[in-house]
Amino acid sequence: MVPEGVDQVETAVRAVLRDALGISAERVAAFDATTPLFGSLPELDSMAVAGLLTELEDRLGILIEDDDIDGETLESFGALVRFASDKALR
Amino acid sequence: MIDRYAWAGGTEAWVRHGKAGQPLVIAALPPFEEANRTRALMMRVLMQLTVHGISVTLPDLPGTGESLVATEDARLADWQAAYAAAVEEARRDHPEIHSIAIRAGALIDVQADVASRWHLSPQDGASLRRELGRIAKAAALEDGGSVEWPSASTVVEVAGNRLSNDLLAELLTGYPPLPAPLRVIRLTEDAAPADRYINGAPLWRRAEPDQNLDLADALADDIADWIARCAK
Repeated sequence: MVPEGVDQVETAVRAVLRDALGISAERVAAFDATTPLFGSLPELDSMAVAGLLTELEDRLGILIEDDDIDGETLESFGALVRFASDKALR
Repeated sequence: MIDRYAWAGGTEAWVRHGKAGQPLVIAALPPFEEANRTRALMMRVLMQLTVHGISVTLPDLPGTGESLVATEDARLADWQAAYAAAVEEARRDHPEIHSIAIRAGALIDVQADVASRWHLSPQDGASLRRELGRIAKAAALEDGGSVEWPSASTVVEVAGNRLSNDLLAELLTGYPPLPAPLRVIRLTEDAAPADRYINGAPLWRRAEPDQNLDLADALADDIADWIARCAK
């Protein structure tokens, strides 16, 4: 499924956090734009970031170059959805 | 039963179950860390296939599993050659051989002379290489260091695995499309094209190896149907 709107991207990002990090669906459902991710989620260490990015590529049909990622990309759930939307919906 | 098969570079172990004369499924796990994360799933799929009257084998490849070849001496071309040789050795007992692979295991059966291929969420070499680069950088970052990527040195450390730069270069090799019959299965939320989508979480992402019996059994049923259709 190639996403057509921000809502679909957000749903996909939630699913990736759930499946790639093993975070429960209930916890992920409670995330909002301001929920902090990297540095705050114990599951999201730097190794897990590698798998998270590859899984986002697979689910959204996008290509992420490492130069695209900066400190803010994974700062919050909202920032990650914005990043994924910019990639998937352009 | 665990014994050994021969290829041009030596011998490697393979697990085999089944009876001579039955169709055989030979299986390729993805390389590196994902092999550990998908082994339980693959073993369950293979055991279920034996219930369908299909013999199964999972060969170790040079530089993986119990192999005496060092990880840094592993090459994709050798994996492909060893896998193809395992197919030929298995053909003595099994007239009809099908290959199944998970993720980047799909890079390994390209040379094998098989009746069909069945791939779960195949990952191409460029994607695997990108992911290895991310893992190498992340691991170096956690150790407070940095890693040169792409690297000019002969051996590159990726999260504790010493990998040959030649192997990393091999991952960028393009291949012509695989010949039919080929069946591609992906998980429901995957965006890439597939012949069928099946519900399930990507176990290859989990830091701790996990099992999903429902997924394994659905996959085994799909493979058994596929093989029956290929035989017609």
